Amino acid sequence: MSSFSRLHEDLDKFAMATDVPITLGGKIVIADRVVKTACPHNCYDTCGFLAYVKDEKVIKVEGDPDHPITRGHLCLKGYANVQKINSPDRVKYPMLRVGERGERKFKRISWDEAFDWMTEKLTMLRDTYGPESFCEYLYSGNREHMIKAASSRFHNLFGSSKLVGSFCLLSGAAGSYYSIGEQNVMSPEVWADKTECIFLIGRNPSFTNPHLYPFLYKATERGAKLIVVDPYLTPVGSKADIHLRPRPTTVLQMIMGMTNYIVANDLHDKDFIAEHGFGFDEFMEEVRKMPIERAAQICDMDVEQLKQAAVMYATHKTQTECRYSNGHQTQRAVSCLAAVCGHIGKETGNLNYINHMGFPSIPGFMNAAKVAAPEGATIPKTRLINISTFAQAVLAAKDPPIKGCISYRGGLVSQQPYVSETIKAVKQLDMYVAIEQFMTDDTDYADLVLPGCHFLEQYGFHPSYWHSYFQVLVPVCQPYHEAVPDIEIWQELGRRMGFAEYFPKEDTGLDYIRWMLPDDVKLEECTSPNGPIRIPERWCPRVPYADYNFKTPSGKFEFYAQGMVERGKKFPGDWNPVPWNMDTDESPTATPELFAKYPFTLISQHPAFRTHSQGYNLPWIKEIEGPPKVFINHADANALGLKAGDKVRIANDRGELLNVLAAPTVRVRKGVAELSSGMWVKLGASVNVLTSQSVGGPRDVGVGIMDEYHPLLDGNTTAYFNTLVKIEKMQKGEKR
Amino acid sequence: MNTRHKTIYIDAKRCMNCRACETACKVENELPAGPRYIMVSEVELTIDGVDKCEFLPLSCMHCGDPACMKACPVGAISKRAEDGIVLVDKNKCIGCHQCLWACEFGAPQFGADNKMEKCNMCYQRLDLGLPTACEAACQAEAIIVGTMDQISRKLRERYSTSSREQLFLEKTDKP
Repeated sequence: MSSFSRLHEDLDKFAMATDVPITLGGKIVIADRVVKTACPHNCYDTCGFLAYVKDEKVIKVEGDPDHPITRGHLCLKGYANVQKINSPDRVKYPMLRVGERGERKFKRISWDEAFDWMTEKLTMLRDTYGPESFCEYLYSGNREHMIKAASSRFHNLFGSSKLVGSFCLLSGAAGSYYSIGEQNVMSPEVWADKTECIFLIGRNPSFTNPHLYPFLYKATERGAKLIVVDPYLTPVGSKADIHLRPRPTTVLQMIMGMTNYIVANDLHDKDFIAEHGFGFDEFMEEVRKMPIERAAQICDMDVEQLKQAAVMYATHKTQTECRYSNGHQTQRAVSCLAAVCGHIGKETGNLNYINHMGFPSIPGFMNAAKVAAPEGATIPKTRLINISTFAQAVLAAKDPPIKGCISYRGGLVSQQPYVSETIKAVKQLDMYVAIEQFMTDDTDYADLVLPGCHFLEQYGFHPSYWHSYFQVLVPVCQPYHEAVPDIEIWQELGRRMGFAEYFPKEDTGLDYIRWMLPDDVKLEECTSPNGPIRIPERWCPRVPYADYNFKTPSGKFEFYAQGMVERGKKFPGDWNPVPWNMDTDESPTATPELFAKYPFTLISQHPAFRTHSQGYNLPWIKEIEGPPKVFINHADANALGLKAGDKVRIANDRGELLNVLAAPTVRVRKGVAELSSGMWVKLGASVNVLTSQSVGGPRDVGVGIMDEYHPLLDGNTTAYFNTLVKIEKMQKGEKR
Repeated sequence: MNTRHKTIYIDAKRCMNCRACETACKVENELPAGPRYIMVSEVELTIDGVDKCEFLPLSCMHCGDPACMKACPVGAISKRAEDGIVLVDKNKCIGCHQCLWACEFGAPQFGADNKMEKCNMCYQRLDLGLPTACEAACQAEAIIVGTMDQISRKLRERYSTSSREQLFLEKTDKP
C-alpha cells in the first residue's frame, strides 16, 4: 500500500486573512482565505500572486500590491489560472494506456496501482539494462527549483542518467559569462531613474516581461531614448526611438558593425577599456573586418539608421537589456559593445542578460546538493543527458539505451524541435510516464498518465532572474481531484525503490526548501503571509559590477575570453576567444541550396497567450488568440497570391503544417515568416514540426550524451530559428 | 457628461498589447469565452516609411447620451445618475440586438443566453473604492477610470515626476 500524503497540512497558516469579502461576478462573495504566493511560469517577472479560495477551490486571483516590482498586476496568463485550475478538462485520476501509443485509449486506475506499475517497470529497467536506462524529462512549465533538487535525490540514489542544460538561454549566458564573469542583473528600479538610453535586444517585454513597462515608461517619459533590436515588429519596437530590424540570425554582425563605427568615430570609452578591459586589440582585429557598411549589407539594413543607433548608444549612458539566445558569440559581441562604451557597473547603465538567480545553485543561494545528495548515501557517477538534444540522445543512447522516462512540467513532444523525431524517441521507451494537468501531446504517447498539480496546489522555490526578490511558493488550496504534488510522487517512488531512509514520510516540500535556504534568509520571511524579500546584496548587488572586479580569469572585462580557450582544450565546439563573423547552420547564406527550395526563414515568438505550450487549450486564451496564423510580409503575400485568411501549407523536409491562415503584415520583413511557438501538435500548428535540431554553442555536445557539463562554461541552446520553410496557398477543398 | 460622471481613460501610447485586461475582466465578471467586455484592437501603420503597431483597448464608452439606451425597445438599458455608468438589466432584455446596431463601438456582447451584456465599469468595485479589474491589471498604466477631475489629477501626478525639461524641450544628441 502507498504511504504518500495526497493532501497538505492545514493551509490556513499561510492565509493573509480568512473570511475575506471580495467582488466576483457582480456580487460580494466571502472567500475562506487569501494566500500570497508567486507565479512560477518561467518568466522574468515572477509576479507576487494573491489567490482567493473558497471550499478548496480558487475563485479569484490578483496581483500582490505589496510586491515592489510587479505591484499588483498579473499578465493575461496569470489571471487565466482561474480557468485553468478549475477546468473540467483536467486530468483527474491516474490512467494506464490500453491502446497503441498515440491512440489516446486509457483506463482509470488507482494511485496504488500506478505506483505498483512504476515500481515494477523501474525494477525491470534496473535489472535488464541498468539504472542509467532511466532519465527524467523536466523543464520550465512550472519553473521552481525545489522539485529538481528533490527528484535529483531520487536519481542520485537510483543511479539514473541525469538531465542537464537548457534549450532556452544557456548559449547566451555562456557568452555573457566568458565576457563579464558572474551573471547579474541591475534591478529595474535602479536604472529607471538614471539611464539616458535603453538598448533592448531580441526582447519582447509585452509578452515575456510586461512588468518592465512601468520602468521603461518612467525612463522614456523622463527623456531617455529607446533602441530596440528585433527582426519582428514587436509592440516595444513600435514605441522605440530607433527600431533596428536585422535579418534573423545576423545580430552578431550588426553589433560588430556598430562597434566598428563607434571606435572609428572615437566614441568609445578609452579609460574603461584601458583600466578594465582585457584583449581589446585582439577583439579589434575582428571588429575591423566588419565596417558598418558591410554589416548593414549582411543584415539587410539601412546603414544610416544603424549609424544613428551606434551614435545614440555610445553617447548616452545606456542600459543594455538583452536576451538573444541565438548564439554565444552574439552575446559575446553584445557584451563587448557595452564594454567598448563603458556602459557597465553604473546606475545609469549596466549590462543585463540574466541574473544568476535563474540557476540559484550556481552562486550558492540555493544549496541543492543538501537535498540532492543526502548525507551517508553512496551516489554513483552517471552519464548526463543534454535537454537541448533530448530526442537525439534517446535515439542514440546505447550501453545502456534509454528505456524509461517520467516527464513533467514541460511539453516534451510540443516543445522539443523536430516533432516527428521526438515522437520516434518516445515510442521506443518501455516506460513513459507523463505527470500532467491536461491531456497534452505528451499524454498521447504515455503508458501512464498521472494527474499533476497546478502550481497553486504545491510548494516551490523561485527567486526571480530579473529583479532581486525572492518568494516561496505555497499551496493555496488542497490538490484538485486526485492530483498529487510532484514531490510526493518522487518521495513515494523513492520509498518503493528501497530508499525509505532518505524519504521520510513526514518531509514536505517546505522542509526541503528550509534545508536549501542560505543562513541569512529565514523561511518565515519569504513565505505567505510574508514576502517577498529582497535577496541579500551578496547575491544580488544593487549595482552589479560597480567595483569592476570581474570574476573572469584576468579579473577584467574580457574582450578576449581566456576561459573559452581553456574550455576549448577539453571539449569540441566554437571556442573562438573573440566574437567573429559566424554563420548559422541553416540560413539563406549558410545553406543556399536549401534556401532555393525553402525561401522563408521561420521565426517563432513566445506569444502573450501561453507559457510555451501551457494554456493553449483554455477557452479564454483561444478566444483572444484565434486560429493559427502565419505572419508574412505584404510583398511576399502578393507574390504568392495570398490574402488575409487564405489557408496555407508550410513545409520543409522535416514536416508540414496545413490550414494555417495567412496574415499579411508589416511586422516581419520580406523573406521571413513568423508562427508563434507553443501551439499543440494535435490542436494547432506546432512550429516544432518544422524546426531544426541544430544547437547553439559554444560547446558542441553532439547528441548530448556527456560525462561532464557546466551550464555557464558549455552553454547550449536549441537554435529554433535556424529553420527554412516554404509557404504555399492551399487549393479549395484540399485536405491531404 | 457632468463632473460626477465617470469615464474610462485610455492612453493608447502606453498600451502595449499584453492583453491582461481581457482575462482580468473575465475573472472579475466570471465570464465564459464568448462575451468580451474589453478587447484590445491592433492596427498596423506605416508613417514616413516607419512601420508601427498601435493598440487600443476598447470597452463600453459609457456615453454621455447612449445610443443603445435610446434604441432599446424595452428600456433594459439605463444610465446611473450618480456616476453615469451605463447598465443593462438582463431580465428585461429580449435579445433583439437593436443596441448592437445602434452602438458605434460594437460594445454590446451576447453570450449563450442571447441577452445583452457589456462592461459595467466594475461598478461594485468602484462603489467600494476599488479600481476596475482592467485598471488594476494594466501593467503599462494605460487605463485610468474615474471622473474627469480624478483622471486629470492622476495624469498631473504622473507627469510631475517626469523632468519637465526633458519632456517638453528639444533634446540634443550631443555627447
